[in-house]
Amino acid sequence: MQTGKTILTAILFLLTLTCTVDHGLAPLPGKLVVTVAFRGTPPDNTEGIYLNVAPKFPPHAINELYHSPNSLPLDQDTVITELALPYGHYDAVSLWWYNKETESNLADVLALPLDPFNNLEPIGFDLSEEHPVHEMFLYPNWNRVKRDAAIKGKIYFNGPFPEDTQITAVAAYVNKPEADVQFLVWLKSIDFSVGERSRNWNAGEMSYSYTLPVTNGYVNYLAVFWLKEKAGLTDYVTLGFYEDPENPGTPGKISLEENAVADSIYIYADWAKINR
Amino acid sequence: MMMNHNNKWIGCALFILWALIRPMTIQAAGVLTGQITDQKTGETLPGANVQVLGTILGAGADENGKYRIDNLPPGWYDIRVSMISYRTHTEKKVVIREGETTTFDVELRETVIEFDPIVVLGGKTKQRLDQANVSLSVVTSREIESRNATNIIEALETAPGINFIGNQINIRGSNGYTFGAGNKVLLLVDDVPVYTSDTGEFNWDMLPPMDIEQIEILKGAGSTLWGSAALGGVVNVITKNPSPQGKLLFGITAGKYGRPAYDEWLWTDPDRLHYTREDISYSKRFGRLGMRVSAGRFFSTGYTQVGDFRKYNLTGKVDYQFKNGIKWTGYAALSHVKRGFFFQWKGQNDPYEVDETNLNNYADVDQLNLYTKLAVPFSARFAFKVRLSLIRSLTGDQFGKGDQFNPAYGQGVELQSDWIPVFGHTLTAGIQYQYDTGSTKYFGDHRGYLIGPYIQDEWKIRGNLRATTGLRYDRYQLIGGAKEDLFSPRFGINWQPWEKTSIRASAGSGFRAATIVERFMELTVMNFKIIKNEDLRAESSWAFDIGFRQYITEDWNLDVSLFNNEYWDLIEAHMDLIRGQIQFRNIPRARIRGIEATSKWGIPVTLLGMDVVPGLQVSITAMDHEDLKWHEPLTYRPKVLFNIRFSLDVENVNIQADYRYASKIDAVKIYPINERVPMKFVDIRVSLELWKIKAQVGIQNLLNYNYAPMESNLMPMRTYIMGIQGEF
Repeated sequence: MQTGKTILTAILFLLTLTCTVDHGLAPLPGKLVVTVAFRGTPPDNTEGIYLNVAPKFPPHAINELYHSPNSLPLDQDTVITELALPYGHYDAVSLWWYNKETESNLADVLALPLDPFNNLEPIGFDLSEEHPVHEMFLYPNWNRVKRDAAIKGKIYFNGPFPEDTQITAVAAYVNKPEADVQFLVWLKSIDFSVGERSRNWNAGEMSYSYTLPVTNGYVNYLAVFWLKEKAGLTDYVTLGFYEDPENPGTPGKISLEENAVADSIYIYADWAKINR
Repeated sequence: MMMNHNNKWIGCALFILWALIRPMTIQAAGVLTGQITDQKTGETLPGANVQVLGTILGAGADENGKYRIDNLPPGWYDIRVSMISYRTHTEKKVVIREGETTTFDVELRETVIEFDPIVVLGGKTKQRLDQANVSLSVVTSREIESRNATNIIEALETAPGINFIGNQINIRGSNGYTFGAGNKVLLLVDDVPVYTSDTGEFNWDMLPPMDIEQIEILKGAGSTLWGSAALGGVVNVITKNPSPQGKLLFGITAGKYGRPAYDEWLWTDPDRLHYTREDISYSKRFGRLGMRVSAGRFFSTGYTQVGDFRKYNLTGKVDYQFKNGIKWTGYAALSHVKRGFFFQWKGQNDPYEVDETNLNNYADVDQLNLYTKLAVPFSARFAFKVRLSLIRSLTGDQFGKGDQFNPAYGQGVELQSDWIPVFGHTLTAGIQYQYDTGSTKYFGDHRGYLIGPYIQDEWKIRGNLRATTGLRYDRYQLIGGAKEDLFSPRFGINWQPWEKTSIRASAGSGFRAATIVERFMELTVMNFKIIKNEDLRAESSWAFDIGFRQYITEDWNLDVSLFNNEYWDLIEAHMDLIRGQIQFRNIPRARIRGIEATSKWGIPVTLLGMDVVPGLQVSITAMDHEDLKWHEPLTYRPKVLFNIRFSLDVENVNIQADYRYASKIDAVKIYPINERVPMKFVDIRVSLELWKIKAQVGIQNLLNYNYAPMESNLMPMRTYIMGIQGEF
């Protein structure tokens, strides 16, 4: 009888504990509410568009972003969406476009609000117990990802790829980027798969043939970047860029009409630029 | 000339065979017989095992608890008698005389806690747990029943050094989480590998808990005897043999999921979330023929969206014991599962829901496991075993793109001999062949085979000192692709300086050939693109283990081990953090090392005129794991595991409480930004045994603790369980 009472007391004690003990993971207390007003119409190859929030900008990698669990609706001009977040400071907010044909990449950032009074740094926000909800507007322009033109050519390498290569990319910019944020907002298109598929190698001459889809207009900087294993997005090394044939050493400019293809655009990539 | 050449080889083979079986033919044999009974009640114990040490001979007790072992050469033998729930008894120097029958009756003493059961995993022959030279743990059928386990994962998750990430087992952090492709732990059923030939994974649903006699867990590499996949450990599930006296078992378990810890997490009416499991099994020996058949179904609404399933299983085991000691066993297990795939939550504020695009992630999974074994004891010193196995698995397409999968087939053959050439040496030698095929739209058609001869000598140097040396060579050949040659040596020693103390040390190697899925899978799932890696190499390891086992009193033991597992070319999912791609790659060097301590205590006392048995089991595993190239922690591995179980038997009432802790996982692959917490689970159970019926109620995750072992996947909330088990 005494034993039974002891056991019952122990069980009741444990049950009482359930009211006060740590429950592990809990709902996120903060919330970002974004009103998205689209400009233009989505490209036919659109798979979805996701809201992203970066605690640190630039992010070291894409998995350092909070993102909406599903795509925003594509059939509405204006959408109000919410994202639950922990309390804290967030450096940047953006929308990320996914297409049906190719892997998504950095050029698919559709909206990234910048602060004109702070060197065009991304506009961040804070969530706290006092201010658990932050509201903001985004104005994505679909035309940014309508890649109706292309640049074709070859990249010549002066040696084999280093063993610690994570990624080699060719990227087209509206202007030559100088600050971190410009590498994102001036980016028109990027292809991360340079040299990845050996069948594209032209035996004997260490060259890689590329085709880079871009939006029509100007490309004032076309460069080859290299990232070593485990390096973050901002740790790239510029191996070479498309040079003006009339003025070697300075970036070449490419003008593209709608559906135009700029061919024979050659870039020389120099492994010596990697500072070991 | 050719004929003469062949005749010469045949002659040699016959001579060797004659030499091996010679002891049986030139010496008149004796017979050992007797009866096994319960020391307290005097009841006979059908199914008890009797082994003649120093030989390969043994027998099981019949429906009257009687056994008989023929063909024993005259001499002195140590006889070991064992049975689950009873202390193993070893009688020294039992005399067998030429042409005479020696009667040897044994009374076994019931035990509350299993201290040193008989295992086969350490050396492919039966041995006491405390005489093994590697770290082993055992989960017995009694523990499985007392937990009312609805699947084998629940049976294993409280074992020392074990934790699960999703459905993937980790032994001392060996596996991490490999996204369901390629397990670094080998799963055996009755010593036969049962991983699927395409993914290298297990289907835990193939094993109804009611069919399990014992689960043995080898901690560390074990490829010398067990081959590919025994990289980080081996789990051997021993199924029950047909019962001598005829036995009908049934079990009904129902669980009701409670409310989530937070009201905002409610996603449906919580009263509708539940599961039920029903099993029935019958086994009986008819003279020399034994059979066992069992069927079960397991239905659940799940506790998440797309978490519901319907599982059916049917298993059968047949054996026939021939007059001359030859034993044939056949086993078949069939499973059909229709289940949802909950890949990841919608968000931390909707953790039990999935994005609406994943609401149709359902698939049918069918699997058939077959094996047949023939054990032929040529003499007291030489036995030969053959086994054939087949695994057919078919996963339907959970990605909603039509019938893109074909059945994967794994076919295996193993020949094994156990030979005692001179007193004190047991030589185990054999060859294993495995042929695997897999075919889907996502990785194409692939075939590969693995062939591996092995040899091991277990040397009983003195009565209290044993040493083991072994070597295996494997050739892995992917047809039309990669070829790899692997050597797996092993050394071990066990020393019992005093009766209650054993000290062990071992160094063993392991390997795992990359699976078809790891090499060739190309698929996009929810914005993650999996890309193939045809250059993937086999991963290998060396496991070093030093430990001791001490009986502090007769009812209290302590086991401590230090381990150091070194890995080469460890295969892990690599996340391309720039593009969001996943690819399986080799980590050149990695290390997991640590210390593990376990202690069991249980003592029967009389309190207020009642039989009361309090028991306590505690285990702690502290590990350090590191990718030695980048000097960072390996992913999906906690550093500390801690389990404590308190049990109290009062007459026919049993009360248990478990606390399971795993430290916060240091590193993950996909969403490192997500909050992570340690695991803290408390389970309680009370059972009452009346006549042949046992009723149980319990609460799992009593504290309603929310834990995600991998990103975006919560474990179940508080769950109320009740069950009835019967044995007739």
